[in-house]
Amino acid sequence: MMSTSQAICAGWMDFEDTAPADAVRQQADEAALAALVDQYAGALYRVAFSVLRNASDAEDAVQEAFLRVLRHRDQLDEVRDHRVWLIRIVWNIVLDRKRRSKTRPETDDVAELARVLPSKGLSAEQVASAAQHHAQVLACVEQLPEKEREVLMLSAFDELSSVEIATVLGITESSVRSRLFRARNLMAGMLNHTRGKTKELEPSCATAKTAAAAEEEGQ
Amino acid sequence: MNLNADNSLNSSGREIGQSGQEIDRASTGEDTLRLIASLAAPQGLEERVRVALRIAPRRGRVLAWPLALRTDAAWVRATAAAAIVMVVAGGGWGVYSHIQPWQAVKNPAIPAKVGSVGGFSNADAKRVPQTLQPPVLSAPPKAAGQHQLPKKAHKKGAVPVAQTLTATPAAK
Repeated sequence: MMSTSQAICAGWMDFEDTAPADAVRQQADEAALAALVDQYAGALYRVAFSVLRNASDAEDAVQEAFLRVLRHRDQLDEVRDHRVWLIRIVWNIVLDRKRRSKTRPETDDVAELARVLPSKGLSAEQVASAAQHHAQVLACVEQLPEKEREVLMLSAFDELSSVEIATVLGITESSVRSRLFRARNLMAGMLNHTRGKTKELEPSCATAKTAAAAEEEGQ
Repeated sequence: MNLNADNSLNSSGREIGQSGQEIDRASTGEDTLRLIASLAAPQGLEERVRVALRIAPRRGRVLAWPLALRTDAAWVRATAAAAIVMVVAGGGWGVYSHIQPWQAVKNPAIPAKVGSVGGFSNADAKRVPQTLQPPVLSAPPKAAGQHQLPKKAHKKGAVPVAQTLTATPAAK
């Protein structure tokens, strides 16, 4: 009969016995990960694009998010809602990238948007007008306070409820609702002001931002 | 694609705010955000991500534990870890006990005190008080005519000096 130490040494040296189990486990991990990619890559891309507004940057962010999942695949079983978990990962990645690429001119974003937004059946004049409108809206979104801006952008995704937005941002649902309300009011004010004085877009947005900051301090 | 009944936004392009009043999406710019959010992902995105995951470097392992040690035999791991700790600690103790650096400094040499402000020492010079009288040696008693040679000793026929010295006490 083999002693315990002999058995351990035999097991230690006998890698061929454990290698198939490792391979099976790795294949299972890869299959689970591939299923996640198939199911959520598109949604993650849209979340990333809504912040970065650049197709290649958004795709890089999606890949980075799944690489992070690969590194922490041991915790995959503990996650309750994979969709929200993945959106939270990619959201943090894109916010980090956005902060680092602050110096990129916004005209690049607008040009990229004009390229990817649907323009089928529209005349050239309508396309130009729509692009100008989108540029104005995005300029005002950029002027929103950070907390309100994040909630507003995530609320644009129909598949995300306020509870899920709260989970992604790590806040309460009531905070989501109040921030969304504030963001909408600010946006309406800014856009009305902008439409009245189209040429004075920047000052109007800046004024609204100051008002929002004052309102937040008051609370 | 509204999968979510909880979302307060409806599909008619209008929404109900907290105050109950309707807000037009266009007036808040959310139509633009929704348009962006609904853009389709590029073709082949999933495949590119899968390829990126396939070629990604796996987490490196210094030691691949056998499967038997991974699951049930936690005590084996603990024993192995304890053995490693004992070997390392024993080796460290061996080196420590052989060197014993504190023995050399049991009676540490105290450096000489530097007294003066300018950094000069007194070079172990000691001040001797001048209150003591130095010893004075008394002069030895002189024998009469012992060292006084007669002036005419060099004269011819005179008695030699040695003879004079020896003869003098006897004469006494």
